[in-house]
Amino acid sequence: MAGIAFNSAQGATVWAVFQGLLLEALPFLLIGVSIATLGRAWDPRGRWLQRLPNHPLLGPLSGAALGFALPACECGNVPVARRLLAVGAPLGSALGFLFAAPVLNPIVLLATWAAFPDRPWLLLLRPFGSLLIALVLAALLQLLPEAALLSQDLLAERRLNQPLASASLLERRGGQLGAAAPPPMALAPPPPWAELLDHGLREFLELGALLLMGSAIAALLQTLIPRDVFLSLGQAPTLSVLSLMLLALVVSVCSSVDAFLALGFADQVTPGALLAFLLLGPVIDLKSLSLFGRLFQPRAILLVVAGVSLTVLLIGQWLNLVLL
Amino acid sequence: MSWLPPLALGFWGVVLLQAWASGRLNLLLRADFHGLVLGAGLALLLLALASLRWRPQRRSRLIPWTALLMLWAALVVLATPPRPSLSTLAANRSASDLGASPLSFLSPPEQRSLTDWVRLLRNQPDPALYGGEPVRVSGFVLAVPGQAPELARLLVRCCLADATPVGLAVRWPPGRPWPQPDQWLKVSGVMGVEQHQGAARSVLLAQQLIQIPEPARPLEP
Repeated sequence: MAGIAFNSAQGATVWAVFQGLLLEALPFLLIGVSIATLGRAWDPRGRWLQRLPNHPLLGPLSGAALGFALPACECGNVPVARRLLAVGAPLGSALGFLFAAPVLNPIVLLATWAAFPDRPWLLLLRPFGSLLIALVLAALLQLLPEAALLSQDLLAERRLNQPLASASLLERRGGQLGAAAPPPMALAPPPPWAELLDHGLREFLELGALLLMGSAIAALLQTLIPRDVFLSLGQAPTLSVLSLMLLALVVSVCSSVDAFLALGFADQVTPGALLAFLLLGPVIDLKSLSLFGRLFQPRAILLVVAGVSLTVLLIGQWLNLVLL
Repeated sequence: MSWLPPLALGFWGVVLLQAWASGRLNLLLRADFHGLVLGAGLALLLLALASLRWRPQRRSRLIPWTALLMLWAALVVLATPPRPSLSTLAANRSASDLGASPLSFLSPPEQRSLTDWVRLLRNQPDPALYGGEPVRVSGFVLAVPGQAPELARLLVRCCLADATPVGLAVRWPPGRPWPQPDQWLKVSGVMGVEQHQGAARSVLLAQQLIQIPEPARPLEP
């Protein structure tokens, strides 16, 4: 880590990388918020979304399949997943969408194919690995009660839209037992468009503020830590997987372009590490983790990080065992 | 303070539009994304104006500090254009894999760009093939610890965050100090051969250096 001292050239570079990350992510965030807001206009009580399967396997799979209909990278995905959860869609479906749709959409699959036409195993294992991660995370997170999983605001909205049988009156009122009651929220007729606009604006600003922080941390870390620190362990089977997972976390690029970035170092690392980079980044990175604060409680975010890290490590290790 | 959230949104629209109009995006994002930023900027501005014009009867609750933070951040981004040190950025990144692009190999030597030369040297690294060929390339000076600086360009797939360098070894004209990192230069010379770490490699023998302004599009796709 020599040369980690902060000088003016590094400060100027951090500022530029921060702007690059932010200006690239904001349009996708706007697309995601727009989709969520249009969904609110079209089906304000989420009756269609509540019909998604509640089965432990079919739920996440149906959510993952929604990625083909709503192609967005991880920044745009969060507001849509939040909308799914707020209208009372089955937890498994919403989580499946959140974790798998950033890979299981036509844009990302085409980009992966364009970057790695000579690695057919990658074209197969990236979507399947992504599905597996979504299934594992959905199963893991559903072990927590909803009150310990979802953020207070989101839980209160969800309670109002869920079928009566799924929550007690006390939970419905306060989000969780013993918590302060949120301000009253209307169940009422579809909101007029000025209210929709106001709601979308609030959503954009709140997620945008989190994105600011995530982009700042990502810019700082990736300017100060030489990328070779991550790539120097390229041929060690386990360490290479771990170091590329860390790189994915820090670099924070969109899932629609991460394959092209990986192309730059694909020959320097093990196949398992390459796959780990392409699987972990779309689920968690410093940018998306900051956005998760609008969905989950801190304990649930830790569970997501632990669950996806372990699953990706095992997949990467397995691939290295098979191919090396 | 009901005007604050639309104002913050509107300013972000202005930030995106200004970045597009001023050419700031050329330094931050690959050209494929510029249209998206322009569209998002226009949309944000229109949505902010609509939100100011038509007030809802019942306002959504907003976390108090978010609108203020977003407004402040928009103003700071607007007022402080990025001036990255490309050399600092490149020093932390591994050299890029350029892949194969046979068409560019057909260009005559003096018409090859720096990226073309690096691609050629990686695909067919035998230095004897290029000895004496004329070279005219431009790029920024990339400091290399313990060695002479290289002439380099940055390749970008998405945004500055994923930029990776491609550098060409240069033997700078003798009797003069090496150029400063981040300077943009047009270098003319011929390709030569030198021993480097026990192996022969191609090196640009610089004969003429012309300092040039940073190009409008400093990043290459």
